[in-house]
Amino acid sequence: MSGTDYAKEGIVHIENLVKRYGSLVALDHLNLDIREGEIFGLLGPNGSGKTTAINCILALLKYDKGSIRIFGKEMEPDNYEAKRQIGIVQQNVAVFDEFTVYENIDYFCGLYINDRKKRKQLVEEAIAFVGLEDYRKIRPKKLSGGLLRRLNIACGIAHKPRLIILDEPTVAVDPQSRNRILEGIQQLNRQGSTIIYTSHYMEEVEQICTRIAIMDHGRSIASGTKEQLTGMIKTGEKVTVEAVVLKEEQLVQIRELSHVFKVDYENDILRVQCTEAKHNLVRILRYLEDQEISFGRVYSELPTLNDVFLEITGKELRD
Amino acid sequence: MTVFKGYMKVIRQSRWLILMYVAIFFACTLLMQSAAGKTEKSFQAESLKIGIADEDGGTFAMALRTYLDNFHEVIPLENDISAMQEKLFYRDVEYIVRIPENFYRKCIVSGGMLPVTTVPDTYSGIYVDQQINSFLNNARTCQTAGFTEKEMADALVKDIPVKVELDTSMGSGETPQYIYYFRYVPYLALALLGFVIGNVLLVFRKKGLKHRMLASPVSSRRQALEGILCMIVTGTALFVLIILVALIWYGKELCANGNWGYLVMNTAALFFVAVSIAYFSGSLVTNKDALTGTMNIISLGMCFLCGVFVPLDYISTGVKNVSQFLPVYWYETANEILGEFTVLTGSAKIQIYQAVGIQLVFGVVFVCLTLVVEKYRSTGK
Repeated sequence: MSGTDYAKEGIVHIENLVKRYGSLVALDHLNLDIREGEIFGLLGPNGSGKTTAINCILALLKYDKGSIRIFGKEMEPDNYEAKRQIGIVQQNVAVFDEFTVYENIDYFCGLYINDRKKRKQLVEEAIAFVGLEDYRKIRPKKLSGGLLRRLNIACGIAHKPRLIILDEPTVAVDPQSRNRILEGIQQLNRQGSTIIYTSHYMEEVEQICTRIAIMDHGRSIASGTKEQLTGMIKTGEKVTVEAVVLKEEQLVQIRELSHVFKVDYENDILRVQCTEAKHNLVRILRYLEDQEISFGRVYSELPTLNDVFLEITGKELRD
Repeated sequence: MTVFKGYMKVIRQSRWLILMYVAIFFACTLLMQSAAGKTEKSFQAESLKIGIADEDGGTFAMALRTYLDNFHEVIPLENDISAMQEKLFYRDVEYIVRIPENFYRKCIVSGGMLPVTTVPDTYSGIYVDQQINSFLNNARTCQTAGFTEKEMADALVKDIPVKVELDTSMGSGETPQYIYYFRYVPYLALALLGFVIGNVLLVFRKKGLKHRMLASPVSSRRQALEGILCMIVTGTALFVLIILVALIWYGKELCANGNWGYLVMNTAALFFVAVSIAYFSGSLVTNKDALTGTMNIISLGMCFLCGVFVPLDYISTGVKNVSQFLPVYWYETANEILGEFTVLTGSAKIQIYQAVGIQLVFGVVFVCLTLVVEKYRSTGK
């Protein structure tokens, strides 16, 4: 396949990837296609194989079976042309404690860009991008966790790569820094980079990713846009009614309401899961009124990726 | 050369450690050589005041007086015991010889003793005793050979020691000052290069950094080569500094000695070994504490066993048998040979080449071991 044909199969094409650590299967026939220009989210609990998949994509790990094609070419440890176009932001902060902020970014950028003048400009842009202008001469040990994460990102993206892989970049980061990082990722995407974003925080993935693959036990159990994923499951709406006292026969009657398929009642809180239909909330509230049952706060939610994960695997995303 | 520059930048972080080591090394070397380097270049035979009470006055007695006069100041004394004791007590004389009547017959023919009085347990007394014994033994030999008293006296007076000139063209026997300097170089080389190179290897082996660099378009082979280049540059810089300081301190003495080229060669071989040991140790340890412990054991251990802190002459044969399996022993062996000889003969040259060759073999072995460790690690076994 020529380099220009990868538009058909995606900028990253993973086919039947298998990686074993002894008897443990870390990746079990993983299939992924990541298209140019998208923010692709790899969502899954810890140990689901996200980082292993990333390491295989970068040819840092040998795999047992399958193939990985990046920019239309087989990804091998010596595919330096592909590596030149990839930026990696690892889960653990990987910077030199011995260098200053500027020196760190300059060093990692220097692995990709030889031209000193061009590099200087790129380093300055990266510093401005992550907002570390006031910390140029500071060593990483003196930076807070959030600033350190920003430095980690700057080191990975300074050379303006075509494909950026961010492996859980917001772990242990305060909400302010997290928002800044997420906005930055969207900005990088707008500037033309394709992003692979791994996380076990579904809110982040929902917020920024254009397409998502949900991973569990080394497999991609579902993939698509958020809407496509939530459309795959039975749950269309979740209604919660607080401070409500119900009898057993009343619960049975609620279960028998149309479009209701699951009812949980615990600690005076009623949770009703309905299929996708109109007026689910009105129907439940009208029943409670008819029965003259008093209740507290009421709210309705659309299904989340956690519901998708829960419905497919039978367990919570954070289990 | 980004990786090389990165390595050098990390090494520059250790500049204070490097400065401290170098300063301590130069200070200690100066102290040690000033303590050890005081060697007498000439000697003067001890001359005593010897009182002689001559009751004989014959030819043979005169010969003894003349003989002793060659070495000492001879003072004639009256044969008065109390006066002689007084002279000895006040140290007007330090040794008294009483030549009896019929001296030749009593002491040579009959083998009798020559009465002497001396300050008990003094070296000077023993010294004169030996000279008089020597004179009498020679006389007895002459008497046995059939010499007459007159002939014997003439022969013994003629037998005055000649002045000996020491030929220093093959080495004066004095250890040159710069040999002390070069003796302590192994500690600096092993300890400093061990800490500096070990530290930079630890930094670059941090898991996250290593992965990030392997994900870059710079091949792992090139990264390793640039790392090795950094170690070579560091080792060479320290080597050049050592040689430059030696030239500044001992310039004339060094250049006048025809062996300085061998000294430089021996030191270069040592630095090659030191860099290879540092590379090997640095690739094995996993943290700074382990590095400090390992490098202290290696540097101090080798220096104590191989003649750096304690000269090889003072080390027992058993310890030497062990230290022969360490490279620094061969460096010190070559260093001592170069200290002993101003002009190297064929066999000494061979010994030097042998010692340098063995050091190089040690260096190559450590490099190979490191490559095996790296290979083992990269394959994840």
